[in-house]
Amino acid sequence: MAKVQALDYDVDKYLEEQGYDDHFHEHEHGDKYKVSFISKYIFSTDHKTIAKQYLITGMAWAFIGAFFSLIFRLQLGFPDMDLSWLRPILGGWININSEGVGSLSPDFYYAMVTIHGTVLVFFVLTAGLSGTFSNFLIPLQIGARDMASPFLNMLSYWFFFLASVIMLLSLFLESGPFAGGWVAYPPLSALPQAMMGSGMGMNLWLFSLVFFVVSVLLGGLNYITTVINLRTKGMSFWRLPLTVWSFFVTAIIGLLSFPVLVAGFVLLLLDRLLGTSFYLSDIFIAGEPLHHVGGSPILYQHLFWFLGHPEVYIIILPAMGIVSEVMSTHARRPIFGYKAMVYSIIAIGFLSFLVWAHHMFVSGMDPFLANFFILFTLIIAVPSAVKVFNWITTLYKGNIHLTVPMLFAIGFVSFFISGGLTGLFLGNAPIDIQMHDTYFVVAHFHIVMGVAAFFGMFAGIYHWFPKMFGRYMNQTLGKIHFWLTIVAAYMVFWPMHYLGVAGVPRRYYTFDSFVNFSQFDTLNQIITIFAFVGFTAQLLFAFNFFYSIFYGKKVSERNPYRANTLEWSAPTNPGHGNWPGKLPVVHRWPYDFHKNGSDYRPQYVPLDPDERDVH
Amino acid sequence: MNIFPEAVSTYAHEMDKLFWLITLFAGLGFFITIGILIYSLIRFRYSPQRKPMTFRGNTFREFRWVALGMALLAFADFYVLYDEHDTWDKMMQSVPEEKDLHIAITGRQWNWIFTYPGPDGKLYTADDVIINEPNSTIHIPIHKNVVFDIRSVDVIHSVFLKEARFKYDAIPGRTITKWVQFHRPGKYELICAELCGVLHSKMRNFIMVESEEVFQQWLDELYAGTNE
Repeated sequence: MAKVQALDYDVDKYLEEQGYDDHFHEHEHGDKYKVSFISKYIFSTDHKTIAKQYLITGMAWAFIGAFFSLIFRLQLGFPDMDLSWLRPILGGWININSEGVGSLSPDFYYAMVTIHGTVLVFFVLTAGLSGTFSNFLIPLQIGARDMASPFLNMLSYWFFFLASVIMLLSLFLESGPFAGGWVAYPPLSALPQAMMGSGMGMNLWLFSLVFFVVSVLLGGLNYITTVINLRTKGMSFWRLPLTVWSFFVTAIIGLLSFPVLVAGFVLLLLDRLLGTSFYLSDIFIAGEPLHHVGGSPILYQHLFWFLGHPEVYIIILPAMGIVSEVMSTHARRPIFGYKAMVYSIIAIGFLSFLVWAHHMFVSGMDPFLANFFILFTLIIAVPSAVKVFNWITTLYKGNIHLTVPMLFAIGFVSFFISGGLTGLFLGNAPIDIQMHDTYFVVAHFHIVMGVAAFFGMFAGIYHWFPKMFGRYMNQTLGKIHFWLTIVAAYMVFWPMHYLGVAGVPRRYYTFDSFVNFSQFDTLNQIITIFAFVGFTAQLLFAFNFFYSIFYGKKVSERNPYRANTLEWSAPTNPGHGNWPGKLPVVHRWPYDFHKNGSDYRPQYVPLDPDERDVH
Repeated sequence: MNIFPEAVSTYAHEMDKLFWLITLFAGLGFFITIGILIYSLIRFRYSPQRKPMTFRGNTFREFRWVALGMALLAFADFYVLYDEHDTWDKMMQSVPEEKDLHIAITGRQWNWIFTYPGPDGKLYTADDVIINEPNSTIHIPIHKNVVFDIRSVDVIHSVFLKEARFKYDAIPGRTITKWVQFHRPGKYELICAELCGVLHSKMRNFIMVESEEVFQQWLDELYAGTNE
């Protein structure tokens, strides 16, 4: 927590003079938001509760996904290890041979790899990140009492929950969940004969993700409508915090790209269940010719990556917004290049629709067409770099409080730089020919959209935890969590670049057939060991999180970080409706630190007579 | 330092050169940005006396350093694009007119099937010779343009010859034609790079690159059905 200097004015007194108070006026809002246990904690329409539901569901999935990654890392690092002790948890997924030595069955190795990817991309880094913080922060930061449609918002969470339940059920099928990689390329995903997981597991996987997309669309519609229509008096678009800008653009990207994915999934379902041939042609499985003629598997790849690439920006943009906000507040310094930040968010959002086929350079797509995708891929590096420069300049000549959220925000920038730069290699088609489907790709996207997005998420959780739960998380545990995580993450993913350059393909169950790859056994063991270290750090985080909800240090001030945005003008635990009295009125942009001699000027403080609102 | 597998095809060196060019640019970018980041963290750590600056980059004078960074990155982008274009064209867009050897290579769960033209020298005729077994080795001549028709009979596979920097998907229902010319003899692994089912990591064949004479001898044995 930031050390508090003497305030140059009394915020509480100021708010009182302006007619704000901390008591609900029953005649105004008491009737509108009835509260019972079920409507408060389960079928809640309060955006703050829905945000917490997203967060906790996302965390549960993060642990399932991370647990799977540990098991398949064990297989990769220590393929000869006896895994029979996992039988109580994983049951038939562990094969026991005649000598009593247990090993992971290859079918379930692929199932774990697939489910790890699916749940982390969709359930954790889309729903858990964007769902949590868009819901929590949009109404609070723009000065609205709730989302435009609280009911659709509730429905959005419960569709996500339904998707979660279906995905969870698929883990318990006898034939296992879907196992054909998270991208689910047909024909492997279309033909039950091709792989064990492509039977019932694949049907459930598709149904789950279709419901998930419904959830994303309901949420996204709400975020967009709320930002456009429910901004409080004085909150012009150029006064929105960068968090809200990033959530807004993220929601627009999601609304434009997720329906394409659903179209792709529906065609795949038709191929699977009704015998159509959208993606299938000229196939012989086990010597038997299939009747499918005329389809193309490439069509699916185009539909999938038309979402797939915007999806990585759907994941990273909210993290970027959170990091901008956290950095400015904890460096006590106006964000550098506010308008450049907004324009680069919009530019990234726009360009993200023009680069999808860089995932398909080896797919037999017209090579001439590839040139355009190379061009746009290299161009999208420019707005991304602008954001990096702006963050660094925000730190330059600031007064940097190395609080836990600040540490994670800095970690985010470091990962975004390292991961972004390896994107330059993959964006160049000739190099991608060598790197495609190797560990270089795995390293690249885990650093730039996996770990980086997680760091943005952690920065947000530590920063807004006092606002969410009225208590602080333990800062010492938080710092240990940070250092263990950043070291483990670099040690897991940095060596993978070398594996990739040497041509080690991803999604291999074992390397023992290949003399060339056995030289990397030690490297694989190191990676696995650090994966365990990283996982342990997350257990620490989970403990800190849940312990602090009940026993953390209580928040005594209204605005503990001396931040400028509107959420800190609402009382802690304000109940449904956010501001008990009048809604705050906005007079300035959100990053007035050290202006006219005062440490900070919240957005609801009117301009001095001689002051201009410049940004 | 060479972290790549040995480069054995005619375009492999060009790709490696491009890789190191980007490494140069990316390395510069990495050290400069991380350098300033770490400097700022040390130099501007919290102190009660410090007055943080309030410049916010809303004038060109303040924004010019970021603009310079943007310009440098855009320059690097276009330089790389310019450099990359020839390599890409050579690898992908222009299959050589002169096909010294034309082979069909077909993926199936879980090995590669090779179809050699028969004694008439033409592929897709009745006398084609098919080699269809796991771990088999095929032979090709060195310093010759070898053209592959890449296909699949079941799911998507991906032909990967890492020493040759050669990787293309095998798509059912499509024939994708790519070429390669080896300039170093040896036995190279041909593996599958696209998840194709449960034995994906066991899918492997070999390519033996050897002189024209030895290759011809092997081909004659193949036609006679006497090689092992």
